[in-house]
Amino acid sequence: MATIQLPGRRRGLRDRLGQLHWMLIIMLSLLATAGVLTLYSVAGGNWQPWALQHAMRFTVSLGLLIVFGLISMRYWMALAYPIYFVALIALALVPIIGEVNMGAQRWIDVGHFQFQPSELMKVGLVLGLARYYHGLRPEQVSHILYLIPPAIMIGAPVGLVFIQPDLGTAMLLAATGLAIVFLAGLSWRLGLIGVLGAVAAGYSAYRFEILKPYQIERILTFMNPDRDPLGQGYHLLQSKIGLGSGGLAGKGYMLGTQSQLKFLPEMQTDFIFTIFGEEFGFVGAFVLLSIYYAIILMGIGIALRAKTHFARLTAMGIVVAFALYVLINTGMVMGLAPVVGVPLPLVSYGGTVMLTIMAGFGIVMSAHASRDHEGLS
Amino acid sequence: MARINSHDPERLEILSRRAFLFGSATTAAFAGIVGRLYQLQIADHDKYVKLAMDNQFNTRILTPLRGEILDRFGNVLASNRKNFRVLLMPDQTRDVEGALDKLAHVIELSPEKRDRLLRQIKRGGRFTPVEVQANLSWDEFAKLNYELPELPGAMPDVGETRDYPLGSAAAFVIGYVGAVTEEDLKSQETEADRVLLRQPGFKVGRDGLERTYDKELRGESGKMDVKVNAYGRVIEEVADRATPPTQGQTLVLTIDADLQQVAMRELEGESGAAVVLDVHTGDVLVLASTPAFDPNDFNVGINPDLWRELNSDPRHPLLNKPLGGVYPPGSTFKTISSIAAQIAGVKTSFSVSCSGKMWYGNRYFHCWKRGGHGGGINMRNAIKHSCDTYFYTVAKDLEIDIIADVAKKLGLGQTFELGIPGQKRGVVPSREWKRAYFAGSPQNQPWFQGETLSVIIGQGYVTATPLQLAVMAARIATGKEVRPRIVRMRGALDLPPQPFGNLDIDQSYFDVVRAGMSGVVNEPGGTAFPYRPTGVEWAMGGKSGSSQVYQISAEDRARGLTKQEELPWERRDHALFVSFAPFDNPRYACAVIVEHGIGGSRMAGGKTSAIMKAVMEKDPATRPAFDPRSLAQVNPQRQEG
Repeated sequence: MATIQLPGRRRGLRDRLGQLHWMLIIMLSLLATAGVLTLYSVAGGNWQPWALQHAMRFTVSLGLLIVFGLISMRYWMALAYPIYFVALIALALVPIIGEVNMGAQRWIDVGHFQFQPSELMKVGLVLGLARYYHGLRPEQVSHILYLIPPAIMIGAPVGLVFIQPDLGTAMLLAATGLAIVFLAGLSWRLGLIGVLGAVAAGYSAYRFEILKPYQIERILTFMNPDRDPLGQGYHLLQSKIGLGSGGLAGKGYMLGTQSQLKFLPEMQTDFIFTIFGEEFGFVGAFVLLSIYYAIILMGIGIALRAKTHFARLTAMGIVVAFALYVLINTGMVMGLAPVVGVPLPLVSYGGTVMLTIMAGFGIVMSAHASRDHEGLS
Repeated sequence: MARINSHDPERLEILSRRAFLFGSATTAAFAGIVGRLYQLQIADHDKYVKLAMDNQFNTRILTPLRGEILDRFGNVLASNRKNFRVLLMPDQTRDVEGALDKLAHVIELSPEKRDRLLRQIKRGGRFTPVEVQANLSWDEFAKLNYELPELPGAMPDVGETRDYPLGSAAAFVIGYVGAVTEEDLKSQETEADRVLLRQPGFKVGRDGLERTYDKELRGESGKMDVKVNAYGRVIEEVADRATPPTQGQTLVLTIDADLQQVAMRELEGESGAAVVLDVHTGDVLVLASTPAFDPNDFNVGINPDLWRELNSDPRHPLLNKPLGGVYPPGSTFKTISSIAAQIAGVKTSFSVSCSGKMWYGNRYFHCWKRGGHGGGINMRNAIKHSCDTYFYTVAKDLEIDIIADVAKKLGLGQTFELGIPGQKRGVVPSREWKRAYFAGSPQNQPWFQGETLSVIIGQGYVTATPLQLAVMAARIATGKEVRPRIVRMRGALDLPPQPFGNLDIDQSYFDVVRAGMSGVVNEPGGTAFPYRPTGVEWAMGGKSGSSQVYQISAEDRARGLTKQEELPWERRDHALFVSFAPFDNPRYACAVIVEHGIGGSRMAGGKTSAIMKAVMEKDPATRPAFDPRSLAQVNPQRQEG
């Protein structure tokens, strides 16, 4: 090849597809397959109402991932702030024009489909913060003045999500945002102060009744699930029974009594890991967890090989958010974390979350694809 | 850009370190998750397997069908019918009140009932289902099933409830069943009984034979393991581990449902009682009491308005008059008096002349017949005409304890082993009785002979129940110690009639009494002659009685009130009649009382004739009685659903 190629531009589509991280795509597809299998079982051996829909959504999301992965990282950097602000404005609009659903206002109607601005914000916050730290010198990161913009960038959406109220997502957003600040190089001293401040804020939230009674109830139940066997702790107890009775090899596909007899609540979403663990046992659950673990390690690898600081931070931010989902959900169904309503990525039924995760990984793909070609951005 | 890139290696190094930290933390977290998974799925596996089994399998108590109660020919007096009902399983709904509110959209649910259910749930705990509504119509039941997905905790159920096809006609024999109370639960001997009684909608016998034979009728509960889902809906029945329930024992009674209904019709509109006995066996063929409640109303939980109405009715529809109503026997007692007189040495030929009144002590004793019966009234005629003066004369020298002894031998002053609660003893006055009765006022303790003059005509202290009077008639008719019974068979256990021995009374003393009783009915001049059964080939012996409720005083007479008919209903005399038939070879004895019916012969005698005609026409004693052992299938009259 004699001619100098401009980065990304003139390479053929085939060439560019080859640059995608196909192993990661296979891993993500395995997760979605596990989801379809489990949803088919939960429905008592029916494609309806979840399994087919899940498969179709994954196909669509996969297309989106590939498209996002083909977009050059330069464009993502250019779009970072706009996306963040669109998400923030949408979040601010929720209390005004949003739908009330299950006692919380989280949705906005856009044409024919409903859309959850908090999901867009999960990607938007990562992009915005990554973009911000891309422009900072290392010594500026821990400077108090340069901490004000990220504090506002994180605080504003977290506050808006919290008042919807959606404690789980607010906590996820806050944790993701803070993780990026930490990854960007925040000094340990400030990090420690921040953690202490968060604990103080959490305590005063409890003290001054900023949390809703059901949120406090969930945390108390988490502390002692046997407190009320048919109340909040019921879900957790049934989930533990499901997993525990699954044993080493599981009860067999479609033979989980806890799920088939409907002892578990929200089996298709938050408690899907229990069903999987009940039917496929410790072995199956371990394999599933290994896939998640592998995806996280791949994500870290992609981030560290990316050429720009923006790309690295973006990829890391998305991997962190993904890891938080997995750990909170699995911890929750086993009684290690409060029942906060966080789905298991790509396995739980639910379109918006799947779209968010696949979009996020699309950007991770983009970071991966640009590793060799955009060194001089 | 160049400015930034110049910092890149430094920033990359920081990020790498921090990313490594994050990766390590994630690895640790995954290790924790896997460790927890190991603990749940491998270390504590057995514990959770057991919990999962407990989740899935429930033991259901299979409620036994209550035993049926049949009449002597197998006609159903009490059985069971399908009861469409809705239960609430409190453990399957987080919000019991909300669940009830939703149910209230489908079925009627008054605020009082709602409160009662909430109390019941509080008392019974979350795991005891409660019966929200029983006896739903098919439409309501269908609607309920249709709406079921929207009704958390609701469980439609087809239960059994008691059915009394005769309604009020046999109310006092059968009794009724009612909901289980705390006292019922406490009085149970075994835990199994308590568990059974706690089943939703379970009923126990509250009165009558339903109460006495509650244990026998109840049956044995069965058990079945069922696989249930989280909402308690049965997914699978584990039949091979089930023990089926055993239906309660069938009670076959001596009652004849047809004749019982005849008697009830005869007494309709009156406040009265009728008892018919088979004098050979003691079988109670008829035990009628009017007015009567309908036990079907009690079955479903009686509504408070009806309950108040039943309680305040002056005709006492809740009083079992044949057994629990005590009345002065009036002139029917003269049968006993005649035997007592003979024991005391009065010859049957002894005769008096009746002028309509007799002076004794410090006052006149009046004969019921104002002008008197004239001369030549011997014992037989005294019975036939019911001449009070004759008995006053005899009473002057008659020892009260002899009368008391005869009265007891003929069935008064005692209760019988019938199995129906609420029997009264009545009063048979004697010297000893009076001493005990007036223990608090010694001046009243001695017996005064003037009191004998009242007792000898069945007034004063003496009282009896209609059942006792029927027994008296049967004993006079046979001279044997007839004892009534009402349960012929219990399950497969035949309870054959015991042969009765002769009464400890000289049999010849009965002759004149029977002859007098024939005169009452069959001879012109007899008090009941106008009301005798006509158009029949058999004769009846009988004795009328009118027992005083209110004595018309001198002032009343001055006001012009002389006739019973002019008195308010509740002050009029009771009308009584005792009888047996056929006269030549007695088989049936009967006692009838019409409260405040005034004329013993006219009112009670007329009704006796009608009842006795029906009895003689059917002649139940000669027909083969029902034996459930010979008939695997129950009587075709049995009602299904």
